[in-house]
Amino acid sequence: MSGGPYNYSYIFKYIIIGDMGVGKSCLLHQFTEKKFMADCPHTIGVEFGTRIIDVCGQKIKLQIWDTAGQERFRAVTRSYYRGAAGALMVYDITRRSTYNHLSSWLSDTRNLTNPSTVIFLIGNKCDLEAQRDVTYEEASKFAEENGLMFVEASAKTGDNVEEAFLETAKKIYQSIQDGRLDLNAAESGVQHKPSTPGRNNLSNDNQANKDNCSC
Amino acid sequence: MLSVHQDVLQIIQAKFSSFEIVKSVHLNVSILGEYWSEQHHILAVVAYHSNSALFLFSSKKPKPFHLSDLIIEAVIPIDENFECLSDPIPGEHNYLLFVVRYRKVSFEFRIKIGPESSNFASEIVKSKERFLSEESDKRWLLKYTDLYNSLENTELKSQLDDIPFIRQKMAQNQNSINRDSMLKYQLKLKEPEFTQYQEFTLFIGTWNVNGQLPSISLKPWLSSDDDPPDLYAVGFQEIDLSKEAFLFNDTPREAEWEKMVLDGVHPKAKYRTVALTRLVGIQLIVLINTKHYQYIRNIAVDTVGTGLLGKMGNKGGVAIRLELHNTSLCFVNSHLAAHVEEFERRNQDYKDINARINFRKYPTAIKDHDQVYWLGDLNYRITELTTSQVKTLLIRNEMAALLRADQLNQQKERGNVLLDYNEADITFPPTYKYDLNSDTFDTSEKARPPAWTDRILFRGKGIYQLAYRSHMELRISDHKPVSAIFKSEISVINQAKYRKVHEELLKRMDKLENEFLPQVTVDQTEVKFDLVKFREPQFRDIIIANTGQVPAEFEFIKKLDEQSYCKDWLRITPYCGTVNPGEKCDVRLEVNLESDLTELDDILVLHLNGGKDMFIIVSGKGQKSSFTTSMSALCRAPMPIMNLSEIQWKKIVALEGEVLYSIPRELWLLVDHLYKYGLAVRDLFESNSTQESFVKIRDWLDFGSTEPLPGSVETIAETLLIFLSYTKEPVIPFHLHDVAIAASSNYQSCKNIINQKLPDIHRNVFLYICMFLQELLRHSNENGYDAKTLASLFGEILLRDPIRNSKPQASRENLVSFIIF
Ligand SMILES: Nc1nc2c(ncn2[C@@H]2O[C@H](COP(=O)(O)OP(=O)(O)OP(=O)(O)O)[C@@H](O)[C@H]2O)c(=O)[nH]1
Ligand SMILES: [Mg+2]
Repeated sequence: MSGGPYNYSYIFKYIIIGDMGVGKSCLLHQFTEKKFMADCPHTIGVEFGTRIIDVCGQKIKLQIWDTAGQERFRAVTRSYYRGAAGALMVYDITRRSTYNHLSSWLSDTRNLTNPSTVIFLIGNKCDLEAQRDVTYEEASKFAEENGLMFVEASAKTGDNVEEAFLETAKKIYQSIQDGRLDLNAAESGVQHKPSTPGRNNLSNDNQANKDNCSC
Repeated sequence: MLSVHQDVLQIIQAKFSSFEIVKSVHLNVSILGEYWSEQHHILAVVAYHSNSALFLFSSKKPKPFHLSDLIIEAVIPIDENFECLSDPIPGEHNYLLFVVRYRKVSFEFRIKIGPESSNFASEIVKSKERFLSEESDKRWLLKYTDLYNSLENTELKSQLDDIPFIRQKMAQNQNSINRDSMLKYQLKLKEPEFTQYQEFTLFIGTWNVNGQLPSISLKPWLSSDDDPPDLYAVGFQEIDLSKEAFLFNDTPREAEWEKMVLDGVHPKAKYRTVALTRLVGIQLIVLINTKHYQYIRNIAVDTVGTGLLGKMGNKGGVAIRLELHNTSLCFVNSHLAAHVEEFERRNQDYKDINARINFRKYPTAIKDHDQVYWLGDLNYRITELTTSQVKTLLIRNEMAALLRADQLNQQKERGNVLLDYNEADITFPPTYKYDLNSDTFDTSEKARPPAWTDRILFRGKGIYQLAYRSHMELRISDHKPVSAIFKSEISVINQAKYRKVHEELLKRMDKLENEFLPQVTVDQTEVKFDLVKFREPQFRDIIIANTGQVPAEFEFIKKLDEQSYCKDWLRITPYCGTVNPGEKCDVRLEVNLESDLTELDDILVLHLNGGKDMFIIVSGKGQKSSFTTSMSALCRAPMPIMNLSEIQWKKIVALEGEVLYSIPRELWLLVDHLYKYGLAVRDLFESNSTQESFVKIRDWLDFGSTEPLPGSVETIAETLLIFLSYTKEPVIPFHLHDVAIAASSNYQSCKNIINQKLPDIHRNVFLYICMFLQELLRHSNENGYDAKTLASLFGEILLRDPIRNSKPQASRENLVSFIIF
């Protein structure tokens, strides 16, 4: 291994989009802090969070932008799509209207990001099974038709939250490996960080990165 | 100090107080690492009384010209935690790698070898020496470190106490040095949570072979126990006494003895060589049971000669360091000075070896290891007793008396050598000096008194010695081999627990990093204005409060596809700035409506540098006014516009319905008033009337009133100018501008444009104004206006551009002046 074990090699930019109240901020919070916020105020602006994750033995820093979902901010939040490597598109499984709006969110994403941007559909609040308003099958079909990755998740219980963020990163990383994603393009949403020549070795260099990885 | 840098020295000195003295500088330093490399860097040693620190600057130019060219990037106190060393850079003979360590953080600089670098290095050494003799005080450095100051949170502070101060920008830039070192430090602290001790059996052996050929099996020495050890450290002295070995430090014996060792190890286990090192005749081999091999890391060796001239290799020490699982081990094999009376020389050799062994890895020195095993022919003798006395005591087995006379025991007790090392009780006979191939002590003429020259000592926690013995069966040398068996506690990482702790720490670091993001709150995210009226500004203040840990640089930024960060009816002051943690900043939002907008809406994006964006919604309703209504519409209004019903208003604005007046009623009221009362007033248009009086006239016009027109003639004259400046279309409509200006030097073409191109109402207004101006000129004796002044005043207004004043002025004047005459 060339660099120190804790240097990250890439920065990926993510955006989280979707109707207001679907749980975007809660998903971000769950991912960065492992906590659920029961009464989270509406996001009036764009929140920012980071976390370093491990994909295929590579440290990757995620820079996540959580956008305001209220309709009146729609025009402004469009400024933030640019240069996103990953887009998490969220709806609330207990509110059909949030699902119905997906096509409009999707067309914004397609128009404002580049073709290699990985779009991940999240059906949030899957802990509220009794209030379900959108079936898994239906959403999964929508995802398939549009070539999106898809899970149902819960920012409350944490179910599938980690997976959604990590799977997105894995997909982006694969695109880099396959050369589908041009790192030099300013809008790729990925920055390369050359690691420092490692001089001081801490114990466990060998073990730290042994997480099994399919790619 | 090199004179070439005298000027630079002065510039850098300017950054410091007069008590802080720049001792030495080094220009053109490059830094290895991710973020830094492209800038010019400068190092400086700065002294404050007896304390010093190394400052790292980035400079805008290779050689700074002014103190503003310099930014302090990092400050490293030169105190007991400060270490530095230099390494050659492979393939770059003119440069060297200058490594500075402060606790767990290290910086690597590439500098050119030359007088500048040696001067600089010697200044650092001097600073460090100066420090060692005095008290440490780091407080003077605090002011250079915004990072340090901004940390209100004491938890963070204690974590950062252990690292040098690195500029906060860098910390914010997710500086990996910081993050890495913090993580390593934390991991070290948490080690007990993810490690457990496991006992390893270590076999340590030493034998002075007296230059004899390796001709016998070493099994009686190396595998005399029932169970195989996990690790062997086997040291020899005098494996080759030839001149060639001494001069060229090269000998075939090295491989031969290694083979003997490999052949002699315990048959119940498999071993492989971890490292072998040799200095002339002093050789050390470390072997490990193959099943443990994968847990060995960071192997390094070094040798130090203390023989002839204090540095030749006939005497000295060799050392091997490694990490087994999570414990660092160091093995030292030394052959110290000979001769009974030379015990002080031996003490000195020991000290030299300690001081000079340098593994160039962290940790670098012998003493920094968790466990140290020191073996060798230490050459300490028995004094104060004759050979025959020694022999007699031995026969009577009075070991205590003999050991009291042992120089090593004596010197160790006095603290002169191997101070904090332990040695097991010696129960075996002296290992020196025997007749070759016998167990008989020296029978030669010299009849040297027997001595325990060959010893094994240890230092560190969790080491239990099981055996300490000599091996009489090996008779080829005048020394007997010695061995020791240790059960040593090695800290073994529990992978599952380690991963958990590591994950947790990473999470914590992420959290920390998120906490380091700038955070502010804004007291209102929705700013509503009351009914906004033409040219009657209103403001609202919002408060930006820094609730984060770091200074927040804020700025209102443009949205996608917009020209400016806010609409033209809004002004934000200040639109950018910095708020320190715990502090607040007032930002004023001011609306001034100068158009016919009825709905005022904007979303402001308040951006924090390196952090989130917040939206602020600004809204209000605009009130209509005759000033912003088109003249064609006004000519259709049967009454003041505020008295119109919604339906009437819509019709008028759509230019439906009959034209009732040839010029707008409002314009006529203003001009007529000036005809009556203003023609003879000096400097009629020069008034600077108050907001209030303008508002009165505006409302009088828009609402209508039975009262006379309020305000002075000057105010009314100014209002006329305002009226003409804001009408929805200028008197000469936008689309005719270019034609009009092109025609401006020709009276006839001007006239044609006016007569043929202008819409009726506009032509009426134009001519009406011109008539009024001619009337004014007739009174120029009283009012002081000449044609040129009036032409330039009105030309600008009648021919106003959508973006004001972007066309040449002179031609407008021409146009108007032609018309006036
Ligand atoms: N039961 C349940 N409630 C959730 C879940 N995720 C979010 N919520 C709740 O849903 C509400 C809205 O969540 P937010 O995260 O603020 O929604 P948002 O998408 O960020 O909304 P905007 O910021 O307005 O765009 C909050 O009251 C949350 O407590 C979930 O997985 N399960
Ligand atoms: Mg939100």
